[in-house]
Amino acid sequence: MVQEFSVVGKRAPRWGARDIATGTAKYVVDIELPGMLVGKVLTSPHPHARIIGIDKSGAEKLPGVEAVLTFEDIPPKLFTPNRHDLILYHPENECKDMQVISDKARFVGDRIAAVAAVDTVTAQKALELIEVKYEVLPPVFDPLEAVKPGAPRVHDFAPNNIALHLKFPGSRGDVEKGFQDADCVIEETFRTSKQLVSQLEPCACIASFGPDGRLTIWSPGQSAFLQRRKLAEIFDMPEGMIRWITPHVGGSFGKFGSLSIEPVCAALAKKTGKPVKIEYSREEDSSRTETRQKYVATGKIGVKKDGAITALQEKLVVDGGAYFSRNSTTTMANMGSFTGLYRCPNVAAEADCVYTNILTTGGIRGYGNSEAMCVLEQLIDRAAREIGMDPVQLRLRNIKRAGDPDSKGLRMETCTLEEIIRLGAEKVGWAEKRARKKGEGAKRYGIGMAIMMDLSGAHPSCIQHRNAYIKFNEDGSANLIVTAYDMGQNLCGTCAQIAAEVLGIRYEDIHIVTGDTDITMFDTGIGASAGLYQVGHAVMNAALEAKKQLLDRAGKKLGVAADELEVRDRRIYLKSDPRRGISVAEVTKQATYNFEGEHLNISGKGSFSPTQSPPPFAAVFAEVEVDIETAEVKILRILYVSDSGRVINPATVEGQVEGGIAQSVGYCLTEDCVINKETGILESDNFTTYKIPSTLDIPEMEVILYEAPVPSGPFGAKGVGHGTTIAVNPAIANAIYDAVGVFVTDMPATPEKILEALRRPSGTSSGIVS
Amino acid sequence: MKKEIATFKINDRPYEVIVTSDMTLYELLRNLHLTGTKRSCGVGECGSCTVLVDGNPTLACSTLAIAVRDKEILTIEGLSRGAQLHPLQQAFVDGGAIQCGFCTPGMILMAKALLDENPTPTREEVKEGLGGNLCRCTGYVKIIDAVMASVEKMRRGDS
Repeated sequence: MVQEFSVVGKRAPRWGARDIATGTAKYVVDIELPGMLVGKVLTSPHPHARIIGIDKSGAEKLPGVEAVLTFEDIPPKLFTPNRHDLILYHPENECKDMQVISDKARFVGDRIAAVAAVDTVTAQKALELIEVKYEVLPPVFDPLEAVKPGAPRVHDFAPNNIALHLKFPGSRGDVEKGFQDADCVIEETFRTSKQLVSQLEPCACIASFGPDGRLTIWSPGQSAFLQRRKLAEIFDMPEGMIRWITPHVGGSFGKFGSLSIEPVCAALAKKTGKPVKIEYSREEDSSRTETRQKYVATGKIGVKKDGAITALQEKLVVDGGAYFSRNSTTTMANMGSFTGLYRCPNVAAEADCVYTNILTTGGIRGYGNSEAMCVLEQLIDRAAREIGMDPVQLRLRNIKRAGDPDSKGLRMETCTLEEIIRLGAEKVGWAEKRARKKGEGAKRYGIGMAIMMDLSGAHPSCIQHRNAYIKFNEDGSANLIVTAYDMGQNLCGTCAQIAAEVLGIRYEDIHIVTGDTDITMFDTGIGASAGLYQVGHAVMNAALEAKKQLLDRAGKKLGVAADELEVRDRRIYLKSDPRRGISVAEVTKQATYNFEGEHLNISGKGSFSPTQSPPPFAAVFAEVEVDIETAEVKILRILYVSDSGRVINPATVEGQVEGGIAQSVGYCLTEDCVINKETGILESDNFTTYKIPSTLDIPEMEVILYEAPVPSGPFGAKGVGHGTTIAVNPAIANAIYDAVGVFVTDMPATPEKILEALRRPSGTSSGIVS
Repeated sequence: MKKEIATFKINDRPYEVIVTSDMTLYELLRNLHLTGTKRSCGVGECGSCTVLVDGNPTLACSTLAIAVRDKEILTIEGLSRGAQLHPLQQAFVDGGAIQCGFCTPGMILMAKALLDENPTPTREEVKEGLGGNLCRCTGYVKIIDAVMASVEKMRRGDS
């Protein structure tokens, strides 16, 4: 039977869209407090240096300067900006290696001092008056150089700059035997690109201590409660003495799941006793905040002539940059994804997480999986060519099915990989287009595809706790009070749709209260597409409780048992006789203004801790035209078939996919940090030197939402946003391979690198360039 | 720094303000608590701070305030009529064209300038016209859709 929904499945406007469209939505940069000071951070011009002397007296004497802080002013407590050490079941791989302000610079952009002054000009002048004496140390920028004996040591405790060696615990079988059994073995080393997050709102923060000693932080964040606990530890304060407000967030993509400048801002506010705002410029944001990891990834695949994959092996050197942050969990995600997408009896993976003197990395959208599929899904196409099998058929031969373990080892409730591959292949006209001639002129046509399975949150590696509260107003509307970080993915709106559906009221009857740790209940932070599946579930539970109270009340009024009632379109009615009923508003008003001594504010609290993390799936098809004279790649079309379970809001899900496609087009073709090999300076720190796709760079896109509700999800919904950056990049790379027969292993696939590959004589090293 | 009193007309309202010679239009708007105009790159690469000056799209981060004195300045706050959204704003809201929203004010004003000049653009012309306004969230599809939807709506006259 087809379930009919009133609110779920509708294209409701994003939560807060009117505020944004009229310019009234407040982001951190828009918030002004009386007497607020401007904070600025002095960063190291050297990639590697020890501070041997620092004179701040000149800056302190400058009129208008209210605080100058160096490492000498802040207790040298070590922390990690990443939140996972607080929620991982096995946090022993996490690493506390960062200080609020250090006496050693580990990358160009590392924090050396901070000032607070009455205005920007004074703060800037004060920075220039701080005299720092550096003992310049030799830097190391390449992860393969960093692990060699005698390389400069980024952190004293990490010999050979190896922060952590990870052996994938899910390794199974015997890979050596698996490769022996294969008819074809392919091994290739890729370098994935160090993508900048490039969220449009540059990093900003406000910190303010009240007269009662409580600290209030205004900052974008995906994890306010855990970030608050981190601040509490750094400043030796109880958590309850910190209030974290998350206003509108101008993009995050995982970056603000970690602490960024909040500790510095709080230190300045503490010292001055006044509110302090730090607002990074684009260049500062690019060169000082977390990026995607660059992996040197060696992947190896063995296949039989019939297409069966016999072994998969991955060896990673992970360039995490100057601090450890998210490197263990992103690397684990990579290895789980690489070894977990296909049925394969023999898999093994291991990684060295390495320090270098470059910009720190974090857990950025699609982390681990994006980099793993960049390797695995390109190896699949090369193996297909070697054994003379169609890449679609090779995938169909090896994909997992419902009941198989997913990439985290959890038994899958549903698996629609076969359906979405077949649907996409048919829609795109795979068989015909794959057989099509590549062209004889300069322009060569190609078509490629790739697939992925992702996750709906960090279970089972991390604890994931969600809470929501719903209270009815007198008029039959309800307030949904929930920690639902909305960075543009419309988590608030989709949660409101879930609540409205359960409560039988309209989307616009739900008023959302969010973004304040003083008001909303505890939450472990979102990321890895946890939001809708987990927070949405807590909202559903809260709504079910409120609905129970609502129907109980209505039952009393109507003289029937609550279980005889249903609610829809703001009206409660008898299931057996829908004409008999009462409006929601009448019940809530009567319950509120009750003269019989039975007052009740109808409400519900719901919690959720997952026991599943159902994977969203995607099959992506890319069509390209490659000019063999200029190596310019024109993406003609992307077809993206997505299974994210029940679609609560189609516009939201499509938007997540379309945005992910655009980010992946950049990731595949243009985006990478350009770091000067002598100075360590990030040269691509603005939108001219670091090109993110514009309207003129995006291909034609078609998004198909293949809706397969998953039993454990709220109304059957799974996650979506995290995974949309994963399969597009290899699909494009495979299309280029189909068009011109070359791979670029040093991503991104820029025209220079494609040209270099094309110029190699065919037959030698398969036209591969690295 | 040279300071002077200058008059501005922003969203049909006159302002008399002390400005320094190096103050940008973006800074002026911020001083007047008009925070709807966003700055993302600060050097004219991204279009986020686009406002209209005498109807022309203008990058507020790279324009000196003093250069636009006495001109008609329209920011995102001045686009709707009370609770009645401009058709472009309504189309962005209804069409899922807003994700994080940081590019939205500049994007909507750029689209307005585009439609003021060419009320019936093709999809390609809209793409071209918005080529200088960056968005990291949406992939632009729903933004272009929203502009095309408002073209249709305005053509029918039911704004």
